[in-house]
Amino acid sequence: MKILRIPAVREFLRILLAVVAALLLGFIITLLVSEDPIGAYKAFLTGPLSKFNRFGDWLEESITLIFVGLAVAVAFKSKQFSLGAEGQLLLGALVSGAIALFVPLPGILRIPVALLAAAAVGFIYGWIPGYLKAHLNANEIVSTLMLNTIALKLYDYFLIFHIKPPNAGYNASDFFPKAGVLPSFVPPFMGEIYTRFSQQTNVTIMLYIMIAAFIAAYYMMFRTPFGYELRMIGANIKFANYGGINTKRTIILVFAISGIFGGLAGAHLAMGIHTKLIMNISLGMGFEGIVVATLARNNPLFVPLAGLAYGYLRAGADVMERASDVSREMVLVIQAIIILLVTAEGLLPVIQQRVAARRSANGQNAAALEGGENG
Amino acid sequence: MVELVLRGIFSAFFVASVLRISTPLILPALGGLVSELAGATNIALEGIMLTSAFTGVVISAYTKSVFLGVLAGILSGILIAALLAYFHLYLQTDLFLAGIALNIMATGGTIFLLYVLTGDKGNSSTLASGAVPNVTIPMIHDMPVLGTIVSGHNIFVYLGVLLTWLTSVMLYRTPFGVHLRAVGENPVAAESLGINVRLMRLYAILISGALASLGGLNLSMAYLTLFQREMTAGRGFIALAAVFLGGRTPWGTFIAAVLFGFFDALSNQLGSLKVPSMWVQMIPYVATIVALVVYALRKRAIYLERARKFQERHLAELQARGARPHETG
Repeated sequence: MKILRIPAVREFLRILLAVVAALLLGFIITLLVSEDPIGAYKAFLTGPLSKFNRFGDWLEESITLIFVGLAVAVAFKSKQFSLGAEGQLLLGALVSGAIALFVPLPGILRIPVALLAAAAVGFIYGWIPGYLKAHLNANEIVSTLMLNTIALKLYDYFLIFHIKPPNAGYNASDFFPKAGVLPSFVPPFMGEIYTRFSQQTNVTIMLYIMIAAFIAAYYMMFRTPFGYELRMIGANIKFANYGGINTKRTIILVFAISGIFGGLAGAHLAMGIHTKLIMNISLGMGFEGIVVATLARNNPLFVPLAGLAYGYLRAGADVMERASDVSREMVLVIQAIIILLVTAEGLLPVIQQRVAARRSANGQNAAALEGGENG
Repeated sequence: MVELVLRGIFSAFFVASVLRISTPLILPALGGLVSELAGATNIALEGIMLTSAFTGVVISAYTKSVFLGVLAGILSGILIAALLAYFHLYLQTDLFLAGIALNIMATGGTIFLLYVLTGDKGNSSTLASGAVPNVTIPMIHDMPVLGTIVSGHNIFVYLGVLLTWLTSVMLYRTPFGVHLRAVGENPVAAESLGINVRLMRLYAILISGALASLGGLNLSMAYLTLFQREMTAGRGFIALAAVFLGGRTPWGTFIAAVLFGFFDALSNQLGSLKVPSMWVQMIPYVATIVALVVYALRKRAIYLERARKFQERHLAELQARGARPHETG
């Protein structure tokens, strides 16, 4: 059982155990409330793979989740409990949507400009709570929550008073023109596959941007001096300070960079999935990012995996609701249990103690052997 | 038009409505204050409110007793708080993440159970749930202005004021309160003086749960008399903001919560003007950020002042001894 001693493997097993336990609990709940619990749970667990468009739903959802997951992971890794992803997402959606609608550029320019603008507005909106935290020690949980509501009000204001068609009876913008919609991730020359994906799903080139984003985030966090500073602050801010790290500058940058991912998530919702601006475009996506980041233990490398896994559960819950008498909110309960079990450091003390005891016993044996050789 | 709005604001009815709108913020804010002062920021206020609002409605509908509904609501809120405390204090879950998880669980769980019980995911209108009675204060009720403002509210409005006072007494006038604040101020020092930090935090979180659940019950059994999905609408978080806006004191928190209520009521009044309601609704949130900044600046100013005084005294002492600073050796 040597493999069990690698911390990453143990961590993975622990998370897997938490997910399985939560799913079991979900099944027990289903047993209690459903007339056809097996059918309901089968729909839940296999739903996203049952039809092509559902497979697409799963991927689309996961891309958003991975972006907000990255936003949260970057901040949480340095122990900055920013909840600002929601606000950054809303402003990212607003700005990219406005550009997609109104800026008269050809698609090949309009889309990059809109994406850059979304990233920039996320950066700026993340910078604010970062500055407040770094220079004024303002509680970031409160400040980001306030900024989220301010962003929501700004979004609603611009949507209702400036963006929606003047005489529309509903609070939504027009659909974006073709030059403002993200193209499918399959290039058009691939014929059959292209038509299938572009007609039945909204999986766009954001998929590639997402892959680039998570690699960039990983590289930044583990291969650059800045990433080292970021992790150092997360591990022990006082130590980081003594070590000569400019903690204020790093904290501000952490918040702002986290904002970039939030803004891009908004651009994906606006220009990829909905292709118009609607009210309540986010619905708590920022908080979903916390789940993804927690599952990935704030490591950008594992965020895509966590995002796909969690996106699968959410897509499955949608299928279950349509196919059975169990409502999709069950997935929220499962989600909560997963967070609690994954983050409960003291939950497996017995097992960990045993492993530690065995390791120290091994260590002593090894030391004794070495000692024997020397002697 | 402006005159109409002004007359609306300066009427007794407006003051009364501000009180009514503020109460579901005051009660959880007091809860947030107690746990915050014990050094355990309670993010789960929102989930606790939602759970108690739901439980109160369901139990009162099935037992036909408002009292049992309220009691069950409070107990359910304390239960969620106990879960938070257990996971944080005994299983070392991060307090913040545990709070978020419980909020998510409360949101999903209440909608899920609502659907199971009523077949509706929106609200509990098919359940005949109870309402907490309004209080008519005998003499005052018939007075012209004062009667409208002070009398005829539901019990929670009076509870809000009373509990603010009680919380203030508890925190500043009892050994328990002093210990509680000591634990929040400096847990290591408190521990060394023989205060059980973990136990004090457990009490603080449970008290916070009880207070927040009163806020939830206020929403579903007085403000409205049914449960709606996600009916707390972020009030738990606003309550937390009120704690900071109010400078982490009971009456400051009370005033901050009323301020939030005031702007909420104001944005309703402004519906008749052409001012977009979003701008008005934004004000308390911007104000909270400004308050965070002011609070931080004031703290820094006090610190600098202290450092300056110390330095002056130090220099004076040196001069008294006849030595000149910076010219030693």
